[in-house]
Amino acid sequence: MALPLKYNFRNVIVRWRSTVSTILGIALVVAVFVLLRGLARGIERTNGNTGDPRNIIVVRKGSQAESGSLVSREQFRTVQFLKGIARNEAGEPVVSAELVMIVSAPRRGAPGEANTLLRGVTPRGMELRPQVTLVEGRWFKPGHREVVVARRLASRFDGFEIGGTFKAGAERLNVVGHFDGTGSAFDSEAWMDADECRAIFDRDMYSSLLFRPADPAAMSELIGRIESDKRLSLRAEREVDYYAKQTMTAVPIKYLAGFLGIAMSIGAVFAAMNTMYASVASRTREIGTLRVLGFSRRSIVASFLIEGSFLAMIGGVLGSSLAWFVYVYVVLRGINFGTLDFQSFAETVFQFRVTPDLMILGVAFSAAIGFAGSLLPALRASRLPVIAALKSL
Amino acid sequence: MTLASFVIKNALRNRRRALLTVISVAVSCGLLVTLLTLERELTIPPESEAASLRIIARNKVSLAQPLPAKQLAVIDKIPGVVAVSPFTFFGGNFREETVTSFAQFAVDPARFKGLMVEGRIAEGSYDDFVADRTSCFVGADTMKRYGLKIGDRMRFSGTFYPVDPDLKIAAVFQGTVDDRGVFFHHKLLDELMGNPGTVGTWYMRVASAETSNDVIARVNAAFANTSAEVRAETERAFQMGFISMLGNVKLLIGSVSTVVVFTLMLVTVSTMSMAVRERFRELAVLKALGFRRRELFSFILAESFGLALAGGMLGIFGAWAIWTGIDLQKLTKGFLLYFEVTPRIMATGGVVAALLGIVASISPSIAMARISVVQGLKTLD
Repeated sequence: MALPLKYNFRNVIVRWRSTVSTILGIALVVAVFVLLRGLARGIERTNGNTGDPRNIIVVRKGSQAESGSLVSREQFRTVQFLKGIARNEAGEPVVSAELVMIVSAPRRGAPGEANTLLRGVTPRGMELRPQVTLVEGRWFKPGHREVVVARRLASRFDGFEIGGTFKAGAERLNVVGHFDGTGSAFDSEAWMDADECRAIFDRDMYSSLLFRPADPAAMSELIGRIESDKRLSLRAEREVDYYAKQTMTAVPIKYLAGFLGIAMSIGAVFAAMNTMYASVASRTREIGTLRVLGFSRRSIVASFLIEGSFLAMIGGVLGSSLAWFVYVYVVLRGINFGTLDFQSFAETVFQFRVTPDLMILGVAFSAAIGFAGSLLPALRASRLPVIAALKSL
Repeated sequence: MTLASFVIKNALRNRRRALLTVISVAVSCGLLVTLLTLERELTIPPESEAASLRIIARNKVSLAQPLPAKQLAVIDKIPGVVAVSPFTFFGGNFREETVTSFAQFAVDPARFKGLMVEGRIAEGSYDDFVADRTSCFVGADTMKRYGLKIGDRMRFSGTFYPVDPDLKIAAVFQGTVDDRGVFFHHKLLDELMGNPGTVGTWYMRVASAETSNDVIARVNAAFANTSAEVRAETERAFQMGFISMLGNVKLLIGSVSTVVVFTLMLVTVSTMSMAVRERFRELAVLKALGFRRRELFSFILAESFGLALAGGMLGIFGAWAIWTGIDLQKLTKGFLLYFEVTPRIMATGGVVAALLGIVASISPSIAMARISVVQGLKTLD
């Protein structure tokens, strides 16, 4: 026969002093774990959320980021007239040859400079990226030294407000608008006219090509044709796949979350063990009584395991909620996180995300801590000799 | 029975609890030391005396923007510059690797010799490197890691430059802050790229640290209002610039460390109060026997302090042994280079452990002081 759950529940409440500190300890461990996973998730989500599944991006073979890629004009011409590329009303192929430059700009409210990405984009490139919309001001005029920066970036750099200016090369660029990239990697970029960008930086080569096949079925065929052409030496990929792979930056944070999760949970397991052992020791007589009443060893083990896991899960729920509150606070305050993207060498802006599945993971994690911590005390409780237990004070 | 042995006996009476407490404090202290070391690794670039004598000039636009090679003639004439060489980050992947696991730079070998003052030639001869345009000059760590020897070839596929140089190892250096780099002839890179007439950065040395600010100003002024303005800064400032780009990482690690310390406190405090509560009857007996409060305080403090310190030592030296013992550089593919647990960090860990012992004894001591002898004797728990 199993012991009623009420017994465990009441025990946890009666011994509140030692349980509170255990619960708080576990809550903090879970909160740290969930928050760090949330950071890694934020970076991954930013890249996973970028691009249009109908587009193909082309960069130089071997380059790790668009900013380090070079595509010559001959290559552009060859790709442009491949069969199967969509054409617009004017009959032109929908191919956007773009330039991605790294520009260092002064940080807002802090000393020093950080790198940011400046993309020279064509009207067709803007058509191909419907997820980027203007939210303030106006788009740049072709042939003018004007840029439109991501709204999220504007809070991180000096002179990125509308009407502000920043230096790129020997020229100053005027910020005329802000766009919103709906949480994509474009939220870390500033856009300007492609030809103007090439003129400022005196660049003959492009960085990447973006195009859309006329027929979605022709996608893999077009990719295959570009990839297999030895003369081109270009890498073609679906735009969404390309960005989804740019996740190197999230890797160290994930490792950190994993390492801290493991190390802190070891500490938490010992703390839980301590509490449960003390709980068993102070209930020796009670356990003896239960045994005399006919409760089996197994049900006593189960009872203590449930108690330990329950205790830890209270901590887990608390910790997950704490992480969620931090997340809500950050969203309400509109705080963006930025870190160096190891692939493009420019600052990437992201928002960390605490999603329900991460919170559930946190609670499950706490249950595992509680289970591991109460296993040995539970076994000890079940093995207490009945007569001695009854006699003990 | 002396007081010391009384305290020790008490602490070890419940061996299991003592052990669990020590281990959980050890794990937390080890974690704290690890985090502090990580923060140091990420925020403080390797420092060497020679680094303050070296200046790096990059394009003002950004590091990714090249500089015209013809600037060399101007820099050569700037007073205070002892040596200058082009210094271009190549960023190639070695052999079949898919990540850039160590840096390669294209330099002018004859000029570069005057810049590398702290390193020494471990194998081969520098003259061979200067003489052969397809050769390279490799760090001892990289040689060891890949089991290379003089005369072996190193093939790189460029990620920034669309060329794949194939280099012969001519000489090996050792004793710099980062013995991993590979240096090769800028002429070779120019040739492969079709002589674009550009370099990545200029690397120069000044005679003394006092003159470096003047030289920096002169270099910046020399190219002001040209089509390629430069930003010159000391090697150290240059590295700090990279670190500032890591953004909120420092804040992140700082806040995690705080949480770890707090959790640590909760665990120890709870254990200590458990130990004391279990012993209320005994403490009441001691009180009845005439022990003063002060003495009882010191019993509790000594026990708590001892346990915390034992755990702290175990954790701190454990962390030190682990991070000194394993090859993190290999494990993290060069992301973590030194991960040195400095005496300062270890001392910080020790102070935290000691404070913990003191803080943990406060609440049990108060509870003990409040209780009357009769009440204490009545307690069954």
